[in-house]
Amino acid sequence: MSRPLRKLLDKAGMAVCVLLLVSPALLFFLWMLSLSLKFEIDNGAYPPILIPERFAWKNYTTIFEGNSFLLYFWNSLIVTGAATLFALLVGVPAGYGIARMQAHKSAVVIMIARMTPGLSFLIPLFLLFQWLGLLGTLWPQIIIHLVVTVPIVIWIMIGYFETTPMELEEAAMVDGATRWQIFAKVALPIAKPGIVVAFILSVIFSWNNFVFGIVLASRETRTLPVAVYNMLSFEQVSWGPLAAAALVVTLPVLILTVAAQRQIVAGLTAGAVKGG
Amino acid sequence: MASVSIRNVRKSYGPVEIIKGVSIDIRDGEFVILVGPSGCGKSTLLRMIAGLEEISGGTIAIDDRVVNDMPPKDRDIAMVFQNYALYPHMTIADNMSFALRLKNTAKSEIAAKVERAAGILGLGPLLDRFPRQLSGGQRQRVAMGRAIVRDPKVFLFDEPLSNLDAKLRVQMRTEIKEMHQRLKTTTVYVTHDQIEAMTMADKIVVMHDGIIEQVGAPLDLYDNPANMFVAGFIGSPAMNFIPGSIGGDGFTTEDGSRLPLGGRVPAASDGRPAVYGVRPEHFRLADEGLAAEVVVVEPTGSETQMVLRPLGSKAGQAGAGREDRKRELTWVLRERTGARPGEVVRIAPDPARAHLFNPDTGLRL
Amino acid sequence: MSILTSSGRVAGAASVGRTKRLRPSYWPFVVPALIVVVGVIVFPWVFTLWMSAMEWRIGEEQRFVGLQNYVRLATDVRFLEAMAHTLVYTALSVVAPLVLGTAAALAFNTKLPARGLLRGIFVMPMMATPVAIALVWTMMFHPQLGVLNYLLSQIGIGPLQWVYHPSTVILSLVLVETWQWTPLVMLIVLGGLASLPTEPYESAQIDGATAWQRFRYLTLPMIKPFLMVAVIIRSIDALKSFDILYTITQGGPGTASETINLYLYSVAFTYYDVGYGSAIAVVFFVLIILLSLVLLHLRQRSAWNSGDGK
Repeated sequence: MSRPLRKLLDKAGMAVCVLLLVSPALLFFLWMLSLSLKFEIDNGAYPPILIPERFAWKNYTTIFEGNSFLLYFWNSLIVTGAATLFALLVGVPAGYGIARMQAHKSAVVIMIARMTPGLSFLIPLFLLFQWLGLLGTLWPQIIIHLVVTVPIVIWIMIGYFETTPMELEEAAMVDGATRWQIFAKVALPIAKPGIVVAFILSVIFSWNNFVFGIVLASRETRTLPVAVYNMLSFEQVSWGPLAAAALVVTLPVLILTVAAQRQIVAGLTAGAVKGG
Repeated sequence: MASVSIRNVRKSYGPVEIIKGVSIDIRDGEFVILVGPSGCGKSTLLRMIAGLEEISGGTIAIDDRVVNDMPPKDRDIAMVFQNYALYPHMTIADNMSFALRLKNTAKSEIAAKVERAAGILGLGPLLDRFPRQLSGGQRQRVAMGRAIVRDPKVFLFDEPLSNLDAKLRVQMRTEIKEMHQRLKTTTVYVTHDQIEAMTMADKIVVMHDGIIEQVGAPLDLYDNPANMFVAGFIGSPAMNFIPGSIGGDGFTTEDGSRLPLGGRVPAASDGRPAVYGVRPEHFRLADEGLAAEVVVVEPTGSETQMVLRPLGSKAGQAGAGREDRKRELTWVLRERTGARPGEVVRIAPDPARAHLFNPDTGLRL
Repeated sequence: MSILTSSGRVAGAASVGRTKRLRPSYWPFVVPALIVVVGVIVFPWVFTLWMSAMEWRIGEEQRFVGLQNYVRLATDVRFLEAMAHTLVYTALSVVAPLVLGTAAALAFNTKLPARGLLRGIFVMPMMATPVAIALVWTMMFHPQLGVLNYLLSQIGIGPLQWVYHPSTVILSLVLVETWQWTPLVMLIVLGGLASLPTEPYESAQIDGATAWQRFRYLTLPMIKPFLMVAVIIRSIDALKSFDILYTITQGGPGTASETINLYLYSVAFTYYDVGYGSAIAVVFFVLIILLSLVLLHLRQRSAWNSGDGK
């Protein structure tokens, strides 16, 4: 076989491989979309229909008709936003401090936090919130989401600050900067890409969180994942609106994933590889 | 401008002592170079002057004021780092004015000072760029500009040229020297490159294993090295060391050859073992000289460097090992030569410029 | 350098007597986070440990019972079964993504058109909201109306009961877990592949090694540390898996897919037996830590480039 032909075949083979690898994800989300756009009769059809003749746009309008879905969206926004912002506020300086003190041992706490099942945080904090009379507000969820967001931010920021050369900060020291000025004017601007990564991952993992919500959320304080789950258990199970709701819940995350895939990949692998 | 006084300074990391009591006096306006092989403690000493390392013992004073406990920002020093340490998120102008802005200097004054420094270094057209858009030499200049703008008491340089290619290094060497002649700011400069030290310094401090081997003007160190370390470290190619003993009015090598001492025989030293040191450029052809076989001829154009193997030494025999290779001599001559490997030449050292060292202490006799 | 500095400081203080720190202290940067971590992470650990020694049902009197909850665990058949389910589920959920993820990484480590977009699509399953995808999987698993059985019927298999039968439920859930988390393994291994030096490959090519030999004798040993990282992370995540299991099966049918985490949930938040639940949490926690330590130890031994000592 001639070399160019062989090369071409290699390339084609590789392309097929990758297509094969991507297809489970691609087909799944296409099917999700299809389910969400079909009327009940099409969703029950055998053999299944991928692209229906009539699109059931009303699946999407119905989920927003009850006011509560918007409320749950708002709850999710508040919980995720507050937990992420607060995590950045305390986590970015902490990542800096840990990286500069080379306090690698303190990172172990973060690692163990990552290993601990969420439920084991829930029992004591649930009792604490009950005792404080916070149940029924969004506070318990905002606070407990810190269990997820703070370690992510600290972990990623340690990695970023460790890669900024000490020489730069020494130069700033000689230039007359105080430690706060060094942090604010030298370290922080350089670590901006890291902060973006930490922000994105923190948002995604907080947004997706389910287990804290099912325990701590009351009817008025549900976040979207809990709300969608409740649609399954308490309302009549009709696939179209359910799939539509599921898609709406996860759509922001999916868009973020594709748009910021470079940052996400960087953050996950940095966290993961260092996590070992 | 200021003087710097280093008094019996020590530095230890745990049980390991890196700097073992060093004292240097640096006069106002002096260009002092700390030179030595890597690990000799020169960079640590510089960082202690800067305040980036704590001082384990002794004192450092800038302008007669002890600065041991003073943080870097209060010492009024400027430092050029090995990797330049330019702030990547700031323009060149912002990099240069960072220290002034921290001190809330008036905008007009900042602009004037940056402009002056940029003028000195030819950075004018680059002021709005970012460090990543600059070449290595330009970054080097910005790092210097950042120091100039400060108008500090002392400039500190930490191996600033080690990341540049050979040609640029020579050019920047000249520029730094010019800058110093113009500004006359007290400067402490660290390098492992003895040529940099020789060409730039008013005063060289040769360090080795945490102690000072010798302090002196460049040519003084070259002509009168205090010991074998300095003799071997300063000058390139390195000085030839020939072991043997002092006897009569001359020097007898281990092979039994005689080398002249020019009547400078130290008193009461007959038969005493010694090391004869002679620089490669201080040999000349001589009929009565040492017979040696040419091993390698390396012409550089302006001069010729030759590696010779003294005849009669074991190095000439088959199976000569690494140890014997140490006996080989280097000869540098200005003239071109037709000598080829395998030929035998007879050379003699210039006795007026030869040195004798104590083989045990390494000190010059 | 600063490690050295800090130890040097001790010696310095000894010889001078009053050496002040020249370098700024970084503690103020850490303190706020420390307070948060103590509040929401360390406090719950300690409190859980304490609760596990109590008989404590929400709304009832509490009583100190020492190790009684743990004794009860040892004879709790439902707990032991949950333990077995967890281990099987975890083992499968580590191996399958590991194999597929490594293969995917090798495929992605080539020059592909639209590589970024493809990678973005590939990582979507693990970033998507677990509850949302679990709902869709539930629909796909439906024995009559689900698309999976239709697809299988096209190649002459089926129909399967998927999550609706005790014998297939765990495997079906592993399928979801694998679908979801293969991307993470892929990313980790891809990171490893990117860090490999190119010279050994060129040298091996000159030596006449085939593609398989290059993979077997060069790539595999060199990415082993990364594979170990993937195994560690995957093990921890699979052990902790909750959202998918809870949404799709709630541990059913019966308790056929009930893992420790699900059992813990039932005990603590369905029966409100938080004392006993805490004991389960402690045992579960110890199990995770032990497994992580074993895997970390293995990783230390497999690391060819762990000179940084991390």
